[in-house]
Amino acid sequence: MSTEITKSYKEEQAGYFKVLAGLLLLTALTFIQPTMFMESATFAVQMLIGTVKAWLILMYYMHLKGEKLIIMFTYFSLFIVLVFFVIVIGFDVVNFQYGELSHITSGDAAAAASETHGAAHAEPAHH
Amino acid sequence: MSHEYVPEIAVDRDGKEHTVQGWQDDFYGAKLGFWLFMFTEVLMFGAMFMALTYYFTLHHDDFLIASSSLNRVLGGTNTVVLLFSALTMGLGLLKMRHGDVKGAKLMIWATILLALVFLGIKAVEWTAEYNHGIFLGLDALQAGNPSSKPFGQILFFGMYFTMTGIHGFHIIIGIGIMLWLLKRINSGKVSPEHYILHFNIALYWDLVHLIWVFVFPYYYMIGAGLTGGAH
Repeated sequence: MSTEITKSYKEEQAGYFKVLAGLLLLTALTFIQPTMFMESATFAVQMLIGTVKAWLILMYYMHLKGEKLIIMFTYFSLFIVLVFFVIVIGFDVVNFQYGELSHITSGDAAAAASETHGAAHAEPAHH
Repeated sequence: MSHEYVPEIAVDRDGKEHTVQGWQDDFYGAKLGFWLFMFTEVLMFGAMFMALTYYFTLHHDDFLIASSSLNRVLGGTNTVVLLFSALTMGLGLLKMRHGDVKGAKLMIWATILLALVFLGIKAVEWTAEYNHGIFLGLDALQAGNPSSKPFGQILFFGMYFTMTGIHGFHIIIGIGIMLWLLKRINSGKVSPEHYILHFNIALYWDLVHLIWVFVFPYYYMIGAGLTGGAH
């Protein structure tokens, strides 16, 4: 019995280290991607790598593998976010009737603000 | 009459009724409840990411320029620090489940140490940004004065300080509840037989890590391909 527990412990510990190796590899990929490959799609690639990392964390570190009810809740939450935040609000944003008046959404206003105040401030924060 | 004690009844799979003595050992219920709490966290950060994405579509170039000015070495170091802290937290739980209480406590202390390192690096980073005039409330991030940054960059840095600040606040809360967990372990209230509190705090720490998994590329990496960045 004790041998069985020890074996299980070692197997689980090995699992944690394997996931760590995967996450470190993906983190390294995050670092090199913007200058090494698919430079024109950096945002999409970075989010894709982040999603794979998140999947590893959820399944193995947060023990969701085999948790059907919580996984179902997760998919349901994602569905709610998709419907309300993306589709409903997205539709509203596309048809925003005060776009020209808003300082945030009006391209002209933002550009004017940039020209007036910010032209000399695009230098890096750190040197 | 209204104060009359009415015992709660639970029915098992065979249809037998049992009087409930307490819910303290309801491992699955405690876990499910904590997941519901975490969904509220995801909704909060999800809304902020949605706002960030919307602003990114409006001020694409400003976002890339602002992102390229962040310190990727410090941000990346913090990513690795959090990654290892998630490992130590997970190993601590594993040790607790298998009866190694001393080992579990050591792993929790290691996680606290890594969390403090994370906060220390963040403090260094924010201080450098402050010294360069980039911080909430300073002229560069206030629209409408001669030293203002372009509006898109003001939005970017506003969201950056807000989101990394709230994330940092979660790290501080995490340190607090880990210290509380150590106290509960020392008093014997968390043990290899009753470890749901340890389990849920490990889940919380993984959530904090999970949020950073998206915060880091969104702020530090999207502009990494531009020349003129710091690192």
